[in-house]
Amino acid sequence: MSAGSARRRMRHQLTGYAFVLPFMVVFVAMLVVPLGYALYLSLFRHQLIGGTVFAGLGNYRAALSDHLLWAGVARTATLLVIQVPVMIGLALGSALALDSGRLALARLVRLGIFLPFAVPGVVAALMWGYLYGPDFGPFAQLAAKVGLGRPGFLTGSWMLGSLGNVVTWEFTGYNMIILFAAMQAIPTELYEAARMDGAGPVRVAWRIKLPLIRPALLLTVLFSIIGTFQLFNEPNIMSRLAPTVIGTSYTPNLYAYNLAFTNQEINYSAAVSFALGFVILVVSYAAMFLANRRRPAR
Amino acid sequence: MRTALPTRPRSATQYRPDRHALSRRSLLAGVTGAGGLAIAGCTSGNGTSAPTPSRVDMDAELRKPATVTVWTWVTIEEIARLFQKKYPSIKLNIVNAGQGGDEYTKFRTSLQARSGLPDVVQLEYNHIPGFRITDSLEDLTPYGAAGLAGKFNPAVWKLVSADAKVWALPTDGGPMAMMYRKDVLDRHQISVPTTWPEFAAAARKLHAADPTAYLANFPPADTGPFFGLAWQAGARPFTVKSRTDLKFSLNDASAKKLVQLWQPLIADGVVSVDPDFTDQWFKGMSSGKYAIWFVGAWGPYFLTTSAKDTAGKWRVAQIPQWTAGANESGYWGGSSLAVVKGSKAAAAGAAFIQFLTTDPEAYGIFVNKLHQYPVTTATLGDPAFVDNADPFYGGQKVNQILAKISQGVATDFQWSPVDEFVSSSITDTFGKAVAAKGNLSQGLDAWQKAVVDYSKKQGFTVEG
Amino acid sequence: MTGRTGRPRRRSPLLTVVMLAVLCYFLLPLCWLAVASTKDTSGLFSSFGLWFHGFHLFSNVHQVLGYDHGVYLHWLANTVLYAGVSAVGAALLATLGGYGFAKFRFAGAELMFRAVLGSVMVPATALAVPIYLLFSKAGLVDTPQAVIIPSLLNPLGLYLMRVYAADAVDDKLLEAARIDGAGELRIFLRVAFRLLVPGFITVLLLSLVSTWNNYFLPLIVLNTPSRFPLTVGLARWNAAANGGSGSQALFNLVITGSLLSIIPLIAVFLLLQRYWQSGIATGSVR
Repeated sequence: MSAGSARRRMRHQLTGYAFVLPFMVVFVAMLVVPLGYALYLSLFRHQLIGGTVFAGLGNYRAALSDHLLWAGVARTATLLVIQVPVMIGLALGSALALDSGRLALARLVRLGIFLPFAVPGVVAALMWGYLYGPDFGPFAQLAAKVGLGRPGFLTGSWMLGSLGNVVTWEFTGYNMIILFAAMQAIPTELYEAARMDGAGPVRVAWRIKLPLIRPALLLTVLFSIIGTFQLFNEPNIMSRLAPTVIGTSYTPNLYAYNLAFTNQEINYSAAVSFALGFVILVVSYAAMFLANRRRPAR
Repeated sequence: MRTALPTRPRSATQYRPDRHALSRRSLLAGVTGAGGLAIAGCTSGNGTSAPTPSRVDMDAELRKPATVTVWTWVTIEEIARLFQKKYPSIKLNIVNAGQGGDEYTKFRTSLQARSGLPDVVQLEYNHIPGFRITDSLEDLTPYGAAGLAGKFNPAVWKLVSADAKVWALPTDGGPMAMMYRKDVLDRHQISVPTTWPEFAAAARKLHAADPTAYLANFPPADTGPFFGLAWQAGARPFTVKSRTDLKFSLNDASAKKLVQLWQPLIADGVVSVDPDFTDQWFKGMSSGKYAIWFVGAWGPYFLTTSAKDTAGKWRVAQIPQWTAGANESGYWGGSSLAVVKGSKAAAAGAAFIQFLTTDPEAYGIFVNKLHQYPVTTATLGDPAFVDNADPFYGGQKVNQILAKISQGVATDFQWSPVDEFVSSSITDTFGKAVAAKGNLSQGLDAWQKAVVDYSKKQGFTVEG
Repeated sequence: MTGRTGRPRRRSPLLTVVMLAVLCYFLLPLCWLAVASTKDTSGLFSSFGLWFHGFHLFSNVHQVLGYDHGVYLHWLANTVLYAGVSAVGAALLATLGGYGFAKFRFAGAELMFRAVLGSVMVPATALAVPIYLLFSKAGLVDTPQAVIIPSLLNPLGLYLMRVYAADAVDDKLLEAARIDGAGELRIFLRVAFRLLVPGFITVLLLSLVSTWNNYFLPLIVLNTPSRFPLTVGLARWNAAANGGSGSQALFNLVITGSLLSIIPLIAVFLLLQRYWQSGIATGSVR
């Protein structure tokens, strides 16, 4: 290898660093450093009376056996198992419908379904809160008019579904756009070939579109997993409407927030956040592993 | 947490009252001017035995340029302008940092970061001990506050002072009253309940007559009305024995007496258990779903703005009594202003708080224009205030009724330093039992246990 | 939709009806919001939610804009500032970084990239307290920077731009420019960036949405109401009905304010849809 090419390679490497540097500086400053700080905090224990002492892994041990945390994790996991397939299914179905070319008013449908993505989570939760109202919400009023019982959207047994509905409403459109865009990128020749073989639209969707948009599908599933475990805004707003149903630990993130800002247990809160991060990591990797295992060998 | 962080020495920024500057003229004389009572400093309850607190030369302090940041959710800008006219070297910066919980969260985070702190902060009475335990409030006695004891309603004065120190000055109050829909009660020929047994009977009668109406609502997760009613019933859930020693009795006999009265009404569905201050609840207040609202004295004005359409339909009365003919009540709400420990403008801040509460013009604006329920004996006894007939309440002299109620509030009620946890844990314990129409007494026990466990974890020595 | 599946473009009425029903679900809450913003407070409390009751839209808008000395306009301006600056900044950083990761081989690149991607799993609450404490040490609490700086970080944007740059920028083009003796920055600005514009706009929009809609961060790092963005301001109005002395029920302001707050974002999306859809397309096929 000549000195010239070595120098060129060096230059090439340095240029690469230079391009990623601004991003990485912000990444380190706004993520790595705070995270390290949180990790540091999680190793201490603070008491209103008695001050702060080093606790080692004590907070983590406490988190492991904290039934409030794991009840929250179980709740979000339930939501994950039910809501994410519904949402992704709805997004996928809509994307297929849009891509089929057989839909009238397709542009309107696409934009309309996407619209909720532009609505802040806070506003979305407020709106649905009004709609869920047990006495004066429009659904309750309609139900009363036709003589049905009151829908208990904000009661203990319905709440998880009600929250899932808000999340579905907010993010289906976003996922649909990702899936739709992936379908649009499929080369037209593949369809021509399928048509030659006499395949109908359902077969085309199943045999060609689905396998080809698999990476996009995996992406939407991963983001949904992460988003569901981190649920905060929606239950936080709804807790005003149903304080005894949501309480202080309905989702792990809500629990961590209340620990830090209400209970003044910032150190323990940090440990709980890390425990949650670990759960997300495990579930995300499990999902990726499952998806890759089922991928046909190339 | 607080000391887990690299600490910055506090003393650098902490205001130290000058121990040698013992002014003959008290702060009060300086602030209230000719009209003020000449309460010279140290006539606190204990009289001579208490060590004379060192006094700050307020006249000198008030001539120095200072900026005072005040966190309050009451729009007191006009009062601030009055103050600044009097003390041109002091600039007041009025900030609405959120109402109640929002503000406390901000205050806590600022304390933790030791930056962005206000000089003066509005605190509801139940939050004062929590900020005292973290040593975040300035003792106001060196600024002449001890002498003000006689100017305030005794029940609220107890809530802002302890150990011969004054941690805040009361600004507004919330002795609990009963607001009722005269039209609804009349329609069903129900007389205004004056005792709790009468109330219970009336609740059944009303709901039987109109299944969509409830005599009252019992909000399941709001500690405000619960402790107000418990206070009246004689419950004393918190005893602060010392800085580190607490006693909890959330489930004492009086509290149990209270929940046993409500238990069958809730279980049978003749009173509702809706969360309060939601849009559903506001609609219920407008529509006549609830015929009675037990609320602090700030409630009457609150309704005139949030249930405008019901003008003329409401009346105000004493809450039902446990002993016929008694005059007992508790507190829900009301707030105070405190000076933040370490403030560079502590003297000016203290002066402003005293100005707001004791200057007749300033407090007049606070009460009449900003509709805060007064806590000063002067205003509570002022005919111009008391005899005012309110058309929203069918010409009732509401303030007269409230003034009488405020005399019947027991003065030995204490709040605890872990009130934030008490308020949040109700949702998982007692509130759950109420909402599920389950066993309220067991709910109280669960609440008690949660609070005791938390306090032990926080290092307190706990009895209960 | 062009008949890309190669079939004659025959519309399916059944499919259309089904999708219009789906559409109704997504538009229903927004319809409610629009209808509700035409009611005054007593109308809100006394009429059926999905139908009109008087028409007070203009008086509501007037109230929203005038309340508390026009603080809503401050919130709107702040939101535009925070979201605008963050979005442009985040898109630039992601474009530079994505291009760097896609077109240059350097030690540790893969590790860095994976670390960034993995960071989307970090719960927001884990960062809130430390970021607040760090900012207060730097004296940045209650300043626009406290909202903007953390919002410059968009890991998904970096991922998207890396994929996009790998696809949209041909290595041969870069080599040709290098042989012509152009500097790397010049190559990026003159050759690569033009090709990266759709991706850039996609990241810009995604960052715009996330900062525009962000509630948690500004809630924690800002104190002064006139510095709030819309989300925190609206939540503040909503909480003003919480009870206690000085509370007010401002429901009509919250509702009309919410409606006004989502209009600008929707407009931006409609105007730029040509760009962001192609950007997402490339990002999602890898």
